[in-house]
Amino acid sequence: MGLQKFPQECNIAITGRCNLRCHYCFYANEMTALADLPTAVWLSFFEELGRLGMMRVCVAGGEPFVRPDLFELIDGLIANRMRYSVLSNGTLIDENMLAKFEVGKRRLRLDYIQISIDGSCAEIHDKSRPGSFEKAIRGLRLLMEHRFPMAVRITINRHNLHDLENTAKLLLEDIGVPSVGTNDAMPIGSGCPNEPEVALTPREYLVAMKTMERLRTRYPGRLTATAGPQARLKMQAEMEEAKRTGVKTTRWGMGYLTACGCIFNKLDFLHDGTIVPCNMLPDLKLGNITTDSLEEIWRDHPTLRALRERRFIAMRDVPGCGDCEWNEYCNGSCPGLAHQMLGDFNLPNPRDCYRRFLEDTKETECPA
Amino acid sequence: MGIDVTPATVLRRNPDVVLREEDTDGALLFNPDTNQIRVLNATGLFVWKFMDGTRDLGAVVASFRESFEEVPQEVEAHALAFAGEMAAAGFLHPTDSPQA
Repeated sequence: MGLQKFPQECNIAITGRCNLRCHYCFYANEMTALADLPTAVWLSFFEELGRLGMMRVCVAGGEPFVRPDLFELIDGLIANRMRYSVLSNGTLIDENMLAKFEVGKRRLRLDYIQISIDGSCAEIHDKSRPGSFEKAIRGLRLLMEHRFPMAVRITINRHNLHDLENTAKLLLEDIGVPSVGTNDAMPIGSGCPNEPEVALTPREYLVAMKTMERLRTRYPGRLTATAGPQARLKMQAEMEEAKRTGVKTTRWGMGYLTACGCIFNKLDFLHDGTIVPCNMLPDLKLGNITTDSLEEIWRDHPTLRALRERRFIAMRDVPGCGDCEWNEYCNGSCPGLAHQMLGDFNLPNPRDCYRRFLEDTKETECPA
Repeated sequence: MGIDVTPATVLRRNPDVVLREEDTDGALLFNPDTNQIRVLNATGLFVWKFMDGTRDLGAVVASFRESFEEVPQEVEAHALAFAGEMAAAGFLHPTDSPQA
């Protein structure tokens, strides 16, 4: 995989403040530990991004809409020739907020606003995202009404596992959003202490996979995933196919620690300006936007180099994987979770181990 | 589909377009207003850099001929087609006359 001269995309957490306290927020630890940067520092940084050819910024947090200078920051991105998207819990979106997007090129340059909906009703959604269902749905409906480009994310967790069909119906049929993305609650951030409450067990994971398989048939092309049960189901099918036929997919690098590709095409920035390889690796601090050269970090930082060289490590040489019958077809999955859970990104993510998953679920009778 | 351009046409780069020179063989253009991307080879990059509103396309092609050896005859037609397509897609803007 070739290394771009400078990444085309990045995630920027513009604030650590949030009006919610979700039970699996991956950013919860950083939100309380770090301080927000002032407007002028971000605007100066956006000028640097523009000079380097950054094309897309995902504006995240915290909750971006809590920043009173949000639109000043968005205008800074626009002035420096970038497009942007916003990740939001949706609860602060109202008519007044949407009207502000109509100024200048704010709407033209907006890729999408993503809102998280984790249940078909307040009783379920609010278990992991307390007190937010009605406001989030109101925000979502307003985006639909005003024809904003949008994305909706369901984070599959123990509370909504048996409500996925209702949630899909609410979003795709009743409200009519074009598509919905899914992932799952992970043991990171506030998901660590709350893991028993929110994170799926292997058997529950299997139920989620089967459910998503049914929903994909019911709603062709309208359910997407790059992680979580739906994505893993596809990946496992490809591993099975490769093992059966002896032909490896060219879509991703089987047999080596090749996941994931983020380190070749993006950087992430925390709300105090800390530069990290990915928001799933928030403690791998590469520098700070106020003091360090982005170009040098991108090209030469030893941690990024080590992450990029991970792809040369054969799965058969990874401790614990040498005798695995799947090691020629596995890619180790997310290095962020491996680092968070095992303290070493050169290990596979234990939550996505297919051998363990088969062992843990072999006697499971799953509802068809 | 491009717009009609001739050797006398003067074009200038859309100032909102991002140029990313990824390596010595070419570059990428990104129009953030339309979300469109174009990949340029070395010839396209050369032409792009001359589209500053100060010279017409005939002059750009002449500069190209002066800068490289054994330039094929059809380079002018290719450059006009390229410029027309880029103008139609909003990467280049027509100007009434060369700007000082």
